[in-house]
Amino acid sequence: MEKREGQHTQIKTVMSSKDEILTRIRQTVRTRYDMPEIKPDFMAYGDKTARFIEVSESVGGRVVIAGKGEDINDIIRSLYPAAKTIASNIPEITAATFNPDETETPYALDGTDLAVVRGETGVAENGAVWIAQNVKEKALYFIAEYLVILLDAEKIVHNMHEAYRQIQLNDYGFGLFISGPSKTADIEQALVTGAHGAKGVTVILTSTV
Amino acid sequence: MSTQHAQEAARFIANKKQEQWHNETLWQVRRKRDRLAMDIPEWEVLREWASGIKMHTLSHLDRYLERFAANAEANGVKVHWAKDGEEHNEIVYGILKERGVKKLVKSKSMLTEECHLNPFLIRKGIDVVESDLGERILQFMDEPPSHIVMPAIHLKREEIGELFEEKLHTEKGNSDPAYLTHAARQHLRNEFLTADAAMTGANFGVADTGDIVVCTNEGNADMGTSFAPLHIVSMGMEKLVPDYQALGVFTRLLARSATGQPVTAYTSHYRKPRKGCEMHLVIVDNGRSRAMEMGDHIRTLKCIRCGACMNTCPVYRRSGGYAYTYFIPGPIGINLGMLRSAETYAGNLSACSLCCSCNNVCPVKIDLADRIYAWRQSLDPIGKADKIKKGISKGMKYLFSHPSLYRTSLKLAPLLRYMPRFLLYNNLNSWGKGRELPVFAKESFTSMWKKGKVNTHKSKRS
Repeated sequence: MEKREGQHTQIKTVMSSKDEILTRIRQTVRTRYDMPEIKPDFMAYGDKTARFIEVSESVGGRVVIAGKGEDINDIIRSLYPAAKTIASNIPEITAATFNPDETETPYALDGTDLAVVRGETGVAENGAVWIAQNVKEKALYFIAEYLVILLDAEKIVHNMHEAYRQIQLNDYGFGLFISGPSKTADIEQALVTGAHGAKGVTVILTSTV
Repeated sequence: MSTQHAQEAARFIANKKQEQWHNETLWQVRRKRDRLAMDIPEWEVLREWASGIKMHTLSHLDRYLERFAANAEANGVKVHWAKDGEEHNEIVYGILKERGVKKLVKSKSMLTEECHLNPFLIRKGIDVVESDLGERILQFMDEPPSHIVMPAIHLKREEIGELFEEKLHTEKGNSDPAYLTHAARQHLRNEFLTADAAMTGANFGVADTGDIVVCTNEGNADMGTSFAPLHIVSMGMEKLVPDYQALGVFTRLLARSATGQPVTAYTSHYRKPRKGCEMHLVIVDNGRSRAMEMGDHIRTLKCIRCGACMNTCPVYRRSGGYAYTYFIPGPIGINLGMLRSAETYAGNLSACSLCCSCNNVCPVKIDLADRIYAWRQSLDPIGKADKIKKGISKGMKYLFSHPSLYRTSLKLAPLLRYMPRFLLYNNLNSWGKGRELPVFAKESFTSMWKKGKVNTHKSKRS
């Protein structure tokens, strides 16, 4: 019996910070509040694509609709005629000058003029595109001077509630919403694009139909 | 006896041009926020949900923290727990030291500011590089942020131009924001590519999945974590949300409230370390569990650090972040300071006119002004009540509870007009500073009413 008590005190003295924090919370919380019922069945935009384009442009992005039978590579070349190093791991993107997945380290991606990647879900309310990491090094999304995201026009949802019901992470364990180019207003609130990431982002809407 | 805030504010408003610019610029941000909020018909519903989700999560924080930590660990993230700032700093340094890290690139984190991490690491010989543009500017100047979202809002472009001439060898006299931003881009890109470790804060932690969500416009958190083989996340334990459904509510509110944008340029979800790399998460208490004991003040912990309360606050806009003694200014900073140490930060309570504008913009519906009012009621027992104002209050109470005395003094009030200025505007009357007394009417309303001088007919509605 005595021995047991002794053991108990010993455990107490070596209580980890984790246990200390959790114990303190358990001791201090007086009222436990219920989770509110969340029913996000809001605003069906009449035209999701139109709203997506409008908001994307308002945040400094650009949206191009690929016409039926139009070659995406032609669109890319005409949008970025000066791009010399174009990275893409999408087989159909023949405009690419290299496959970023074949580089050894993320550092080798420095100097990429343009990256072409695929987006999964577009969000009409804020012009964001969800990408679950689909290149070997996520650095590509940020280090390329310009970014092109291919998005199936059918994959545009109304809002973030809808988006979060759909999105998933894969084995890379990283994913993000991108809405327009990298930007800052840290100097006198003057908006400047191209803070650290892409100086420009173009979403090319494709149609599978 | 004016508070330190009042004294510092006097210094800020001495530069009238700067005061006006600061006031108007932040008000523009508030207006942008209004436009974006009004664009969402269900805005008020979202605020209500956000508040409810936070109260639920905070009051079940033990369970959510356990679930979150277990999921993060299952994802391959090493989880650490820090009772206070000191332990947090030791943990971070321990990780860095063990891996021989020389250069650490950081993205904006108010928590590391709270823990005074940078000076601690620098003393230990680590090269700490802030990568948010505003933060980098301030680091060059060795100054703290004056706003939690727009850290360098108090600086003019010319000052930054001169600073960059010295630090980044930019062109002399060039203070164009685009030019300076792109100079910083070049400079910081080199830092990202040569750092041994990256550190970020966390906007949200998702209990269900173990995700850390970081929102930035610059992409600096993403650049940092994409190269260095080590990512350390520093997260205040109140940052948890239960699941993706809840996260959807907050990602709709955050940027709209903060800067009047529909969403930040990057909303990044970190779940696992990069292949062959390490990811560490430090969950920090540092007074948060103690704050949970303080009755209704627990609501302050709902804060998602958007800064909307600062942008709308007439006192913050006209006194600047440095006027406050706590490192987070504005209505939320007044409250967080009081949670940290009422004795130390009570002076900031004077920086509020109880206009309640902050209550109305807060995306998680913290009743910030009511909290400040409540804190003021608790000043006397800790000896922080203003003695002069206390005296005046006592006098007022006596006056208001003695009707005949009250009426007599009302009759005499117009005489104030004939009192010499030095009697009215002196150090005993801090309400007389920068303000003029209203002109007293020659006759009181009561007296007019009794004489039938008040025409009630016109105001009647037919």
